[in-house]
Amino acid sequence: MNAVPVKSGAGVTGTVTPVPADLLPHRLVLALMKRALLILIPIALAVLAGIYLLAGRGGDRIVVGGKKFTEGYIMSAMVTAVLRDHGYEVEEKIDMGSGVVREAQVNGQIDLYWEYTGTAYVMHHNMSDPAVIADPQRVYDAVQRMDGPLGLVWLEPAPFNNTYTLLMTREKAEAWSIRSVSDLAARVKAHPDGVTLASNAEWFARPDGFQGLGAAYGFQFPLDKVVKMDSGLIYRALREGEVDVGMGYSTDARIVALDLLGLRDDKAFFPTYNPALVMRRVVLERHPELPGLLNPIARRLDMDTITRLNYQVDIEKRSRDEVARTWLSEQGLL
Amino acid sequence: MMLRRRAWTIGLAVLPAALVWRAGWLDFLFGHPGEVLRLFGQHLVLVASSGAMAIALGLGLGIAVSRPRLRPLAAPVLALAGLGQTVPSLALLALLFALIGRIGFLPAFLALTLTALLPVVRNTCLGLLTLDPAMLDAGRGMGMRGRQILWRLELPNALGVIFAGIRTALVVDVSAAALAFLIGAGGLGDLIFTGIDTQNTPILVAGVLPTTALALALDAALARMQRRLAPGGSPRIG
Repeated sequence: MNAVPVKSGAGVTGTVTPVPADLLPHRLVLALMKRALLILIPIALAVLAGIYLLAGRGGDRIVVGGKKFTEGYIMSAMVTAVLRDHGYEVEEKIDMGSGVVREAQVNGQIDLYWEYTGTAYVMHHNMSDPAVIADPQRVYDAVQRMDGPLGLVWLEPAPFNNTYTLLMTREKAEAWSIRSVSDLAARVKAHPDGVTLASNAEWFARPDGFQGLGAAYGFQFPLDKVVKMDSGLIYRALREGEVDVGMGYSTDARIVALDLLGLRDDKAFFPTYNPALVMRRVVLERHPELPGLLNPIARRLDMDTITRLNYQVDIEKRSRDEVARTWLSEQGLL
Repeated sequence: MMLRRRAWTIGLAVLPAALVWRAGWLDFLFGHPGEVLRLFGQHLVLVASSGAMAIALGLGLGIAVSRPRLRPLAAPVLALAGLGQTVPSLALLALLFALIGRIGFLPAFLALTLTALLPVVRNTCLGLLTLDPAMLDAGRGMGMRGRQILWRLELPNALGVIFAGIRTALVVDVSAAALAFLIGAGGLGDLIFTGIDTQNTPILVAGVLPTTALALALDAALARMQRRLAPGGSPRIG
């Protein structure tokens, strides 16, 4: 390999050996890439133009939003399937967290998505009346009323209640004789250094989450005993014994699959979370037939059903769309 | 001349800084300095430990595969080290958790080391392999033996390139460490993800600014070290 003379920026002359050939990307690949780019760039421009033109026909397009966990995905898949089956053009925006998807809807970027009554009451409207929170009908009426001025309408709620739950492995719960959150509070008071809790970022920061738990149950969970992490990994962390208690969602299939126990919320602290489709009023006015089309989905979603569907996706590893469509056909909705 | 450029830089930065301050985006940062500092400390520990490991391993591997006997291993080693950068950091963290079943520092440390490894290995290896053979011949002619050539001729001359690799590795490390939060390893990612999930921009900013500042500070510090230890500048590769 011959040395090549070079000058560096400081004006110093030296020589540098070219990079050995087997460590360079193959020259042929480079040439191919250049040729491919010449063809791909006009194609990309054409595709972009096409998308722009097609997307411009916003009139009949319905934007379905959703939250980024299994249950959220399954339920938005159901709505998308039913809508498309009836000839509507649907655009999906389904990878968002609670705060973002709500804001997107208020801004008009999302037309409808499944929201939980408790979430809207506590998070979006900053309310905290415990009498309302514990009553499914009252909390639904409250959010329907408060969202009216925002141009949003709540469709029929589903009967299931996907509330937060504190989980432990069955073995540890038995070893420590813990069956309710009050039992846990007692344990933490007796052994402040002996209990670790896993939470995700969102639940930790929420007033209907960690921030309100202590006040409701009369105990202080030591902050240095709280591990914050991605919610999906909490179930496994519990199973591995990495943490003693973890926050989870009551309809999550992994509770069953990993033999975890949900502690009884004996002081009814965790709000009611019934899901319902929230729709922008302008969309409802444009398509008044939609509630008739979509309410039957909500009506049939009870605790057993949703847990079973979650199980099919999370544990049996079936596709979310397939599980949604199969259930819809079985129910005669597709 | 330098003063005028610096005045421009500061002047241009003042407007966005003022806007950010007015919008209240700095409220959490100034309102909870203790909390931010604590998470910054965790972040620093993650970066320092995985960075040090990546540098040590990277230098060792880079030097090893540049030696004539192990030279044929260079391509596969570089490819393997490349995994750390082609597999998204998030996936790497989750994979490590799945592999060892532990949350917290250990899987994060391993994942971040892997992420920061490639730039160091690649720049060390290529830096050593693209030195002027005439210079090395001269060294041999002077009676230097293998190890002496490495330490007194090769490494000093490749230092510029190696430094560039280390700087890249550490900047990537700082940014990837923001994801370590997701497997329970803490760090500034806590603020970033909380800010995102609760749609709270001041919290998000309180996570982003120190992360950026750390990356810039590390890069600047290493640049200064580079100017002192490898004054010739980094020659272009290839």
